[in-house]
Amino acid sequence: MKNIFKREPRAPLEYTKSLRLRAWILGVLIFLYTPLFILIAFSFNDSKRMIEWKGFTLKWYQKVFENDGIREALANSILIAIACTLVSVILGTLIGFVLWRFKFPMKGILESGLNLPIVVPEICMGVGVLMFFSKIHWPNDLPWPLNLAQITIAHITFAFPFVAVVVRARLENFNQELESAALDLGASQWRAFMDIIVPHMAPGIIAGALLAFTLSLDDFVITFFASGPGTVTFPIKVYSMVRFPNGGLINAASTIIIVLTIIATVIAMRLQEQPKKNT
Amino acid sequence: MSEIKLSEYEIAKFLKGNAHSRRAFMAAFGATAAAFTITSCSKGGDGAKPITSAGKFKIDGSEAKKLQFYNWDTYIGENTLSDFKSDTGVEVSMSLFSSNDELFAKFHEGNPGYDVIMPSNEYVTRMAEAKIIQPLDHAKIPNMKNIDPDFLNPEFDPGRKFSMPYTWLVLGIGYRKSAMKNGQIPDSWKYVLDSDEYAGKIALLGESLDLFRLTFKYLGKSVNDYSPELLKQASDILVKQKKNVKRFHEDDGQEMLLKKEVDLVIEYNGDIAQAKTEDDDLDFLIPKEGSLLNSDCMCIPVGALSPNNAHGFINYLLDAQKGADISKTILYPTPNAAAKALMDDSYKNNPIIFPPKEALAKCEYGKFLGAKVSQEIEGAMTHIRAE
Amino acid sequence: MQNWYENKRFFWGTMLAPTIWFVIFFVMPMALVWIYSFGENNGLIDVEITGTFKNYKHVFDRDVLQVLWQSIIMATIATLVCLVLAFPVAIAMTFADDKTKSWLLLLIMLPFWTNLLIRTYALISVMGAQGLINMGLLGIHNFLLGAGLDVGTFEPKQLLYNKTAIIIGLIYVHLPFMVLPLYAALDKLDRSLIEASLDLGAGHGETLFRIIVPLALPGIAAGIVITFIPAMGAYLTPDLLGGPNDLMIASLIERQFKRANDWPFGAALSFLLMYITLIFFALRSYFEAKGGKVSTGH
Repeated sequence: MKNIFKREPRAPLEYTKSLRLRAWILGVLIFLYTPLFILIAFSFNDSKRMIEWKGFTLKWYQKVFENDGIREALANSILIAIACTLVSVILGTLIGFVLWRFKFPMKGILESGLNLPIVVPEICMGVGVLMFFSKIHWPNDLPWPLNLAQITIAHITFAFPFVAVVVRARLENFNQELESAALDLGASQWRAFMDIIVPHMAPGIIAGALLAFTLSLDDFVITFFASGPGTVTFPIKVYSMVRFPNGGLINAASTIIIVLTIIATVIAMRLQEQPKKNT
Repeated sequence: MSEIKLSEYEIAKFLKGNAHSRRAFMAAFGATAAAFTITSCSKGGDGAKPITSAGKFKIDGSEAKKLQFYNWDTYIGENTLSDFKSDTGVEVSMSLFSSNDELFAKFHEGNPGYDVIMPSNEYVTRMAEAKIIQPLDHAKIPNMKNIDPDFLNPEFDPGRKFSMPYTWLVLGIGYRKSAMKNGQIPDSWKYVLDSDEYAGKIALLGESLDLFRLTFKYLGKSVNDYSPELLKQASDILVKQKKNVKRFHEDDGQEMLLKKEVDLVIEYNGDIAQAKTEDDDLDFLIPKEGSLLNSDCMCIPVGALSPNNAHGFINYLLDAQKGADISKTILYPTPNAAAKALMDDSYKNNPIIFPPKEALAKCEYGKFLGAKVSQEIEGAMTHIRAE
Repeated sequence: MQNWYENKRFFWGTMLAPTIWFVIFFVMPMALVWIYSFGENNGLIDVEITGTFKNYKHVFDRDVLQVLWQSIIMATIATLVCLVLAFPVAIAMTFADDKTKSWLLLLIMLPFWTNLLIRTYALISVMGAQGLINMGLLGIHNFLLGAGLDVGTFEPKQLLYNKTAIIIGLIYVHLPFMVLPLYAALDKLDRSLIEASLDLGAGHGETLFRIIVPLALPGIAAGIVITFIPAMGAYLTPDLLGGPNDLMIASLIERQFKRANDWPFGAALSFLLMYITLIFFALRSYFEAKGGKVSTGH
């Protein structure tokens, strides 16, 4: 964020260089990050609670590495979130596209029905999922990672409609003549879809993927009801600590996630840049 | 043991005749000796030798080498589960829940596969009535003898037919001493439920049933009394008091007290005891009207796949030494008299963890009042919050 | 829009998988709960399906409506503030180069990969009586005192445990739900339109409202849907940040399934929210269908 307020001559569309816009974004980021910095700071605090500074320590980090339970919970959560994101993106993109592209009987019902997973109170869906898996006698004693399937299925179910909403919104601005042109030029329906429409949907797909990942990573209630014995995710771990809140430990674990995410993003961007440089 | 390794190294140095090392050796040896005495006396002899304890904890008719345990997080001794594995060969997989209501809801459609669960108080009654938990075979739990007789016949589970006590707690008032006017001691529920003396500095329980029970107690009734008139009377008090209340807390009252958001909270003694280690200006008391007891209990759900392992596990947790290991980690009051005897004075004589007998005599366990009453009380709470 | 039968294979190929998934894993579980909403408690865990409408009648109690109304107001305010906060961020993303865009996206999303409960506790330690903001105010206060100004004694500002705190919490938690759809709708939009507008002498403000906002409309609509609805459904934020008067509908529903153990009433409350949504969207797609093509495929 260096030179954030440095004003350079700007072309008409370079809104990013507008001073007011930068100040606004900076304000939003301060709003978002102040609590996060406190959280990170307190992960080095020699106390379980986020109240007073009692001295610097690395013991919470040591404890995170020693604590199998936390690592297992984190690994489960991330695995579920990745699986959920992949499937949700495919399902959400397809149905978002269908709703935009086709007229068909009962469309209104399907379209408004798809909003229900967004509306349904978490606890209500949790209870529904509990009843459903118990009625169909879904086996509860599968080995890892198959025992995460119930949670993953439930997550996909509430996440893909979010993807669909975003993708659909993206498609509204699509110039349909592009597709017709491709079809006129002899492309198959699927070719035109993959080559013309998917690239246009890309920002929607990315946004949807980020939403699905976030929703899955943070879900507690539905996860709780969908999980079988022996499956603990990070939110379940955090919430079940109510009897003995251990802020230090959890803050340290969260800080590790934050740092890992940043590292992963930097690497991903480097990898993306390389081929461009070579050409 | 690391001390011993250190001393072997020091022995080598000592034999070389290094004066500095000799002192170090003495020091190290002294420390080891001291550590050894502490371990041997605290472990009561047998716990230190895994070979004997393996025989001691052998589970007759043990099923598969696995046990599914459903518990609050960090609500167990640091090494209890790994010790259990080395003593019995049974691996415990601990799943986590965060409230009795969740636990109950999770068993609504049958047992998803757990062997031992940890409900409290009237939830034991509820679950027994709903045939979620099965009667225990006391013959398989010889360590029941370690339990303080006071805990053997609670109203919510007469004769301990379905449950074994794991911890107990009592609700009371946690307060900041320096904030009390003229050194007052808030020794009545009046201060939090029916007075504007500390307006805006009070946090009440968000848990509707417990809050109403305490209000009944304040009105001179039992926590288990119920009548529509009593409910109305309690409800009126709470509606009136609401303007003086800062928040209905989610069992995090001690945090609000520590952060000086409030000066008076209704909380559990164990939570205030933990908070007091960080801020000595806090204290806890059981109001003179008496209060509500709470006890987390070990139960075996119907349909448990390894009931013998489950009994063995419950018996293991009730062992004197294992119980003391648990209490050392979680610092909640223990109903295990033999385990308590092994604890330090700082725990045994802590007046918050173990409040005076006279005060406890006026406390009661909540009985299950029936599904209808729970719903009516919940409705009354909604009314209070929405009004 | 094309009629499905004009392109059957393509239609089924894209439509089948998501629809089947939706029916099996959403409609079927929810149908089980839906049936409960016509049931009566019969003992502790038995619910007898009697076809009663009692639970729905109960939904129209004054207390419940009060809570519902309050939730709608708070979610609305939070959504509008989110929209105002998010719009410039989305604009910046749209016009930034790829690298800046990725970083902005990451910066917006990163806080949300920290657990909600932890984030809320962190927010509490910013806003608390001894939190960061009050410490800052205390610092200013002491500075003024040191400068010889008579500013009286310092009273910490009461930022927590009221409606404002809940709204701030809701904004904090739901902001990306607004940023992402806006970004998705605007990204790589047809810049020639804006350039044309500017060339023709329209100012930046006018261009914004005449060109960019209409282009962003689908995104705004999507953003409102996925911000407002989950904000209505938030229970943790109101429980942790709210005061004694601040009960929201999701907490009420949660209590029915848990504490009160009244699943039929909980189900009825949940389905009330869903009926409203269903009607709203059904009406919308009805009018869209009637009005013909709504998508702006210019």
